[in-house]
Amino acid sequence: MSHAMFSEQAAPTAQGLLAPPSAEPPTFPRVPVSGYSDCSQPFQLGERSFSRQYAHIYAVRLAGMRPGLERCARKQWGNDIALRKLSELQAGEKCCVVGTLFKAMQLQPSILQEISEEHNLVPQPPLPKYIQPSDELMLEDELQRIKLEGAIDVQKLVTGTIVAVYGSEQDDGRFLVEDHCFADLPPPLPWNGPSSDRFVLLASGLGLGSVSGEALLSTQLLVDVVTGQLGAEGEQSCAAHITRVILAGNLLSQNTQSRDTINKAKYLTKKTQAASVEAVKMLDEILLQLCTSVPVDVMPGEFDPTNYTLPQQPLHRCMLPLASTYTTLHLVTNPYQANLDGVRFLGTSGQNISDIFKYSSMDDYLEILEWTLRAGHISPTAPDTLGCYPFYKSDPFILTECPHVYFCGNAPHFQSKLLQGKEGQRVLLVTVPDFSATQTACLINLRDLTCQPITFSGFGADSEDRDIEVGH
Amino acid sequence: MADELYLENIDEFVTDQNRVVTYKWLSYTLGVHVNQAKQMLYDYVERKRKENSGAQLHVTYLVAGNLLQNGYVCHKVAVVREDKLEAMKSKLSTLASVHVYSIQKALLKDSSPLYSTDYDIVKSNLQHCSKFSAIHCAAAVPRTPPDAPRAPAQSQRGPDAASVVNGHGPPAARPPPQQQRGIMGMFAAKAAAKPQDTPKETKAEAKEAPGVSATSSKPSIKNSIMNNFFGKAAMNKLKANSVPEQLKEEKEVEKPSVAVAEPESSPNSVAEKPGKKAESARIQQKDKRSKTKRTDRSDDEEERDPENVKKKRKRIKQLQSDSSDEEADIPPSPTREEERAPSPPLVPALKTELEPASTEGSAAGRKRKRKRVLKSKMFIDEEEGCMGKTG
Repeated sequence: MSHAMFSEQAAPTAQGLLAPPSAEPPTFPRVPVSGYSDCSQPFQLGERSFSRQYAHIYAVRLAGMRPGLERCARKQWGNDIALRKLSELQAGEKCCVVGTLFKAMQLQPSILQEISEEHNLVPQPPLPKYIQPSDELMLEDELQRIKLEGAIDVQKLVTGTIVAVYGSEQDDGRFLVEDHCFADLPPPLPWNGPSSDRFVLLASGLGLGSVSGEALLSTQLLVDVVTGQLGAEGEQSCAAHITRVILAGNLLSQNTQSRDTINKAKYLTKKTQAASVEAVKMLDEILLQLCTSVPVDVMPGEFDPTNYTLPQQPLHRCMLPLASTYTTLHLVTNPYQANLDGVRFLGTSGQNISDIFKYSSMDDYLEILEWTLRAGHISPTAPDTLGCYPFYKSDPFILTECPHVYFCGNAPHFQSKLLQGKEGQRVLLVTVPDFSATQTACLINLRDLTCQPITFSGFGADSEDRDIEVGH
Repeated sequence: MADELYLENIDEFVTDQNRVVTYKWLSYTLGVHVNQAKQMLYDYVERKRKENSGAQLHVTYLVAGNLLQNGYVCHKVAVVREDKLEAMKSKLSTLASVHVYSIQKALLKDSSPLYSTDYDIVKSNLQHCSKFSAIHCAAAVPRTPPDAPRAPAQSQRGPDAASVVNGHGPPAARPPPQQQRGIMGMFAAKAAAKPQDTPKETKAEAKEAPGVSATSSKPSIKNSIMNNFFGKAAMNKLKANSVPEQLKEEKEVEKPSVAVAEPESSPNSVAEKPGKKAESARIQQKDKRSKTKRTDRSDDEEERDPENVKKKRKRIKQLQSDSSDEEADIPPSPTREEERAPSPPLVPALKTELEPASTEGSAAGRKRKRKRVLKSKMFIDEEEGCMGKTG
C-alpha cells in the first residue's frame, strides 16, 4: 500500500515559492463532501432524568449482548455446549455461562471509604493504575454472582465487560474457567469509500488556555496547513483534499479547570473571570479560521465546558458566536459516530480508554482500543469508574456494527493499525495524540484507510531538535 | 513599477518600522494571495542581499516533508531559522515545501513573535480570514440570519416532558440551532413587542388595535435588523454571563415567545396583553432567579463604558424600576424620554412619576422597565445640568 500522502505529491513544486512573484497564483477548491450523515443519535440525550439506579444499564447491557455471545460461544466450543444461567449450575458439569465481569480491587477509590469517619483515612491520591495482584474477578448474571479462577487474565480485564466462560463449578463454589470468549468484532459495514484521495484530519487535545506558548504556534501552523495558507503549491493542492477536520476533545486545557473562585473570598474574585472564558474565545477564533475553509466536527472532552458523564453532549453554540455563524461548524457528541464520504467513523475523546488503562494491566492505548472493539463495547467501565448517564432502555455503547475508522483522542502518542476481521471487517484503529504535548495530528486517507501523523514545530531558544516523544 | 512598490513596502516595514514581517501579515496588509506574499518576501531578500551583503536581515523558512519518526513516516511541518534550514532539509526524506516564512531585522530567539504577528493580523481580519488563502471552500457559507429567529413558529413545545425514552429526547426537537433560535426568538419577540409598546403608551387605549396592526407589520421587516442588533450585542453579554441560565430558561422562553410572536397573525390587543403578561411574569421569575447574578452583571456593566454612557440617559429616568435583566440593548425610545422631559428633574419626583407609570402600563410597559440597577448612585441630570444623587 503506497503512502500517497502529501510529501510525494507535493515534492515537484516544493521550492516553487523561492522565486520572484509569479502572475496568478492558483487557488484550489476544497474537495466537497460527497456524503455526510451524523449517526450519533444514540448518544444524544434529550430530557435527562437521574432518578434511576445504575443497575438497569447493566441489565440491558447483558440482555443486549447475550445473544451475540451465545453465538460466539457455540462457534468456539461447539453447537452442543450447555448454556446455563448461574442459578442452574451444577457442580462439576462443563457448561458455558454468559455474564458481566466484576473485578474486586482493593485500591479502587471508594467514596464511602473516603468519607467514613471510623476509618479515619486520608483520601487516596490518584494513582496511574489501581491494579493489584490480589484483585479478583467475579461473574454476574441477572440473579447471582460467582468467583472466577483459571484460564482468565484477572489483571487485564475490567469491570463491566460481558464475557462467556466455559468451565465448571467447583466444590468450593468457585467457577473454574477453561476458556472464555468475548463478543468479537461486530458485523462489517459495506464499503462505500471514495475512489480518489480524500483526507480527514483528526486532532485532539488542543489544550487552549494553558500557559505553554509552544503549542500555540503549532496550532496556528495546523490551521494554516489545513486552510491552505502554508506550504508550496503542491502541498496546498494536497491540503485541498482534506474534506473534514475532527477535533476529538480537550480543546481546553486542564489548567482552565481551576476552581479557585469557590474557595477564595468573594471580594478577591469579584472581577476575575474563569480561565475557560478566555480559552473559549481563542477556540472561537481558531474555529472561525477553520470553518471558513473546511467542515469541522468538534467533540467535547474531559476538560471542555459540557456535561461530565458520558455521552457528553455537544458544546453550546452560544459559546462560539463567531464560528457558529458558519454551517461548516458541527458541534457533536462524545462518542461521535458519522458517515463521511461513505466511511463509517466512530470515536471518543479518550476517557473510555484512559479509564480502562487505570484498571487494567494493559499499557498500550492502541491495545486497549482494539480490545474494546473485540469486547463489543465502547466503554465497559462505565458506569462503575467512569461517569455515565443511567440508561435503562438500551445501552448505546454496545457496538452493533463494525466501523471503518475507530479512534480515541488524547492518547500519549500516535499509533495506528489496520485490523482485518474474520467476516471481512476492515477497521483502521487510530490513537490520536494529545496535540498540546506532541504537536501531532493524524491524516487519514479515506480511499485506502491509511493514516499518517503530521507534526508541527517552531523553534525555541534551547533546542533545535523538536522531535518530541512522549513516552508512557 | 508595481514590482518596485512592494519592495519598497517591505523595506519600510522591515527596516523603518522594525516589524516582523510574516508572509501572512504581508498578504493581509498588501491584499495579495499568500503565495505571492511568500514570493515577494523571497524576492526582497534576494535583492537586498545582492545590493548589500551585510544587510541586517534575518529570515525564517517553512520546511515541510517526510520524516521517519517513532517508526512512522510522519509529515513534518517546521518553521526554522535560516541557519538551521539546510540541517532540517537534510533530515527530511522527501521535501514537500520550502518557502520564506518571515523576515525581520533582529535575530529571533524563539518563534513567539511570529505567532503574535500572525495572531494580531488575523484577529483584525476575522471576517475574511480565508480571503487570500490558496484554498477556497464553497461549502463555508454563513448561516442566513432569518434562519435563527423564526423558530418560535415551529417549536410548538406541547409535548415537552413527554418523550423521555431512555434519556433520549426526540432527536428532531433539539438540534442546536433551536437553542439559539430560542434565545434569538426571545429577543425577536421583545423587539416585535417594543415598537408596539411605544404607540400604545402615547395613544389612548381605544386606538390600540389599529396601532398594533399598523406596527405589527413593521416588526417583520424590522426583525432582521433587530435580530442582528440583538444577535451580536446580546450574544456578547449572554456569552459571558448567562449560558446556563439561558439553557434552563430557553424552554420557558420559547413558549411565551410563541405567544408574543403571534401578534402578527392576530392583531388583537387583548390576546396580546395576556401573552405579554405571561412573558413578563416569566421574565419576572427569571429575574428573581437572576438576582444573585445581578451583582456580577453590573460589574461587567461598569467596564463597558461606552455603552454605559449611552444607557445612563435612560436609566436616570427609570431608576429603581422593577428588576434588571440580562439583556438591556433595547434601542432608545425617544418618545419615552420626551414624555419624561417636562417632569421635575429631581429624582424623588421622578421616582413617584415612575411608579404610577409603571403600574398603569404594567403588562405593556413592564418589559421596558427591566433595567439594570445602577450600582453607583451618581448621575448627571441632563435637564438641570447638575449632578444628583439618589437616596
